[in-house]
Amino acid sequence: MQKKIMTLALGAAIALAASGAHAGNAGPNDIRAGVYFVHFDAQAGDISGPYVPPGLNLHVDNVVTLYLAYVRSISTHFDVELAAGYPPLTKTEGRGPAMLGSVPYNGRIISTTRWFSPTLLFEYVFGDANSRLRPYVGVGVNYTKFFSRQSTAAGNAASGGPTSISLPSSVGPAATVGLSYEISDRWHVYASYSVAQVNSKLTAQTAGLQRTSEIHFWPNALVISAGYSF
Amino acid sequence: MLRKIVVLGAVLVTLGLAACGSNSPTGKVATSNARGTLVDNPPLRVASANAATFSAQLSSTPSGQQLLQLAGTPSCGVDFYYFKYWTVAPDNSPQLASGALMVPTGSAAPCTGPRPIVLYAHGTATQSTYNIADISDTANPAYGESAMVAAVFAAQGYIVVAPNYLGYDISTLGYHPYLDGAENATVMMDALTAARTALLSTFTPTTSDSGKLYVTGYSEGGYEAMATVKAMQAAGEAVTASAPSSGPYALEAFGDAIFFGQVDIGSTAFAPMVRTSYGHAYGNLHSQPSQVFSATYASGIDSLLPNAAPLSTLFQQGLLPETALFDSTTPTSATGNAALDAQANLLLAIPAPPLYTTQEAALFDLGFGNPYLVNNSYRVEYVDDALINPDQAEMTLLSPPPQPPLTSSDVALAATSTLGLRQDLRLNDMRNGGWAPQDPMLLCGGDQDPTVFFQNTQIMAAEWTPYVQGGLVSVLDLNATPSGPYQALQAGFQQTYAGLVTAQGAAAIASYHSTEAPFCMVAARGFFAQVP
Repeated sequence: MQKKIMTLALGAAIALAASGAHAGNAGPNDIRAGVYFVHFDAQAGDISGPYVPPGLNLHVDNVVTLYLAYVRSISTHFDVELAAGYPPLTKTEGRGPAMLGSVPYNGRIISTTRWFSPTLLFEYVFGDANSRLRPYVGVGVNYTKFFSRQSTAAGNAASGGPTSISLPSSVGPAATVGLSYEISDRWHVYASYSVAQVNSKLTAQTAGLQRTSEIHFWPNALVISAGYSF
Repeated sequence: MLRKIVVLGAVLVTLGLAACGSNSPTGKVATSNARGTLVDNPPLRVASANAATFSAQLSSTPSGQQLLQLAGTPSCGVDFYYFKYWTVAPDNSPQLASGALMVPTGSAAPCTGPRPIVLYAHGTATQSTYNIADISDTANPAYGESAMVAAVFAAQGYIVVAPNYLGYDISTLGYHPYLDGAENATVMMDALTAARTALLSTFTPTTSDSGKLYVTGYSEGGYEAMATVKAMQAAGEAVTASAPSSGPYALEAFGDAIFFGQVDIGSTAFAPMVRTSYGHAYGNLHSQPSQVFSATYASGIDSLLPNAAPLSTLFQQGLLPETALFDSTTPTSATGNAALDAQANLLLAIPAPPLYTTQEAALFDLGFGNPYLVNNSYRVEYVDDALINPDQAEMTLLSPPPQPPLTSSDVALAATSTLGLRQDLRLNDMRNGGWAPQDPMLLCGGDQDPTVFFQNTQIMAAEWTPYVQGGLVSVLDLNATPSGPYQALQAGFQQTYAGLVTAQGAAAIASYHSTEAPFCMVAARGFFAQVP
């Protein structure tokens, strides 16, 4: 994992160091801020482990969070984007039977987590440098780190006691399509749709026993943002 | 420009790290392995059922419906906890073990506040996966017993502590100290200590220990329950009342009866478990399995039970005979003492009238066949020792019918023995030690029990004749003519068993012992209620 992080950082550094062309009088750098509407198309395997009845599953609630990005224009048609969102509080709901005995399960928020999920994207920008409206596509890599993982009271009740949760970090592919619109020489607005693959294994520890679920997130995000070039 | 990039990078890194908080904690894990230490605190709640859902769960199967009818509609919900605790093996080495803590829940009066504890000892289990806490898995070999204890006691307001013995579930001991009374009493007491700690940190802390302690168990558990009462009395720890049921208390006499040809149902599993247990504990048995067991089964038998596979699989794989404890071609004794050899040969022969009734003979004869488990030479060795160093109770019971009732002057243990197994059985026989219960005790069983003979109860009752006469020790024979405070249970058992006979014919006898269990447990509950 350490190696992957270093590789990611190195890639970002190379991209940032490269000089590029930018439209108009603005510089090759662009900072963007906006809103991430994240939909988690999560697919989790049934929870397995001791004392787990069959058919227990999870659902990850959608979130809206702050989008921030730095974009470096390398040439007329190529940009490098390092995007990240403010780590959102993401809630996991129980899916399965309404009750585990006399403990409510289905639809209950059983855990929360925050995640830091920077994405490095290499983007191809269509049109010429002076076009006001420029579509772009990009591919890249996403790194996701989960933290502040908490089992809720409802989660503890379902798990059978105070529970700690681990979700290992993930590195996976990412892609984006978007549209930029030039408002002025330095200001643009953007709309994009991005998707990444995040795989992790949820491990819940309760009284020394482990329960696990393999989770495959396909977080897809609609981003509305504004950018300033310099 | 560079400064701006650095600022932006700092923002992103800050976003990533500023929110890095601690993750939710689990409970505490004990660092000590001292006896009675609770490992994980709070313990793991594995299931929670309110009175209605527990009732519905039981109602979903025919056996559950019968249990519900017998135990009564649940007054309380039950939270099932799995707890781990430290205890010691016969060699005094620290051992990790597990068990069930069942806590009544609900707002009804008998379900909350200070509640009595029932310390329950489980019956013989041949599968190492036995876990009496696993009420959520109907395939677990402990499920039926777990449901029974929960329905009879926990759902009626008793806190239940039910340890898994060493050799089961998470235990790494590698064998079970089967019918080692002192050892299993230690496990029971350590589990109780740990469970009392666990009780303070459950999801329902309003349900607490009232200080009243009832001890019970069935079959092997009946024996271990009695051993626990004995050990707790010796340690000066209070027991409010006890109800050992259908246990092999008089082990020496029971062993003699079996080697004399009165083969009990289940003996081909019990025999290797006893040898493995006593071999580890005392080291005075024949060192080679082949000195005891036939060549067909000797290989690996000392580590066969408990096994991950069910007994039926071991039978199919040819690792144990299903019923043939002894060779159908019976051996003869040749001590040179003509009188002794004649008596031995009579007992070594396949059981038949007039020594036994036709019905008894038909049952005992199932224990003879080929291939068989126990060597003829070992059987002769045992029988000769049992005649030279007789157990007085067994010899009295061998007298031709009608037999007078046993009295306290009829039940002395053998004065000595030259055979390691008989020495160990005598050591663990509940007559040993000259003790008697100081608090009320109910001995429940059925006088036609083909698995654990009722003579075990009769011998203990005779041993404690003054206590029986004084009312401190009560005996309940489920098969007797219904009368007295348990007549409904006696009638119910007899009706249930008669139904089995109608449905299954002679094969019903194999279910006699297990059919008794819930009736004895309900009797125990009624008995405990009279000793507040």
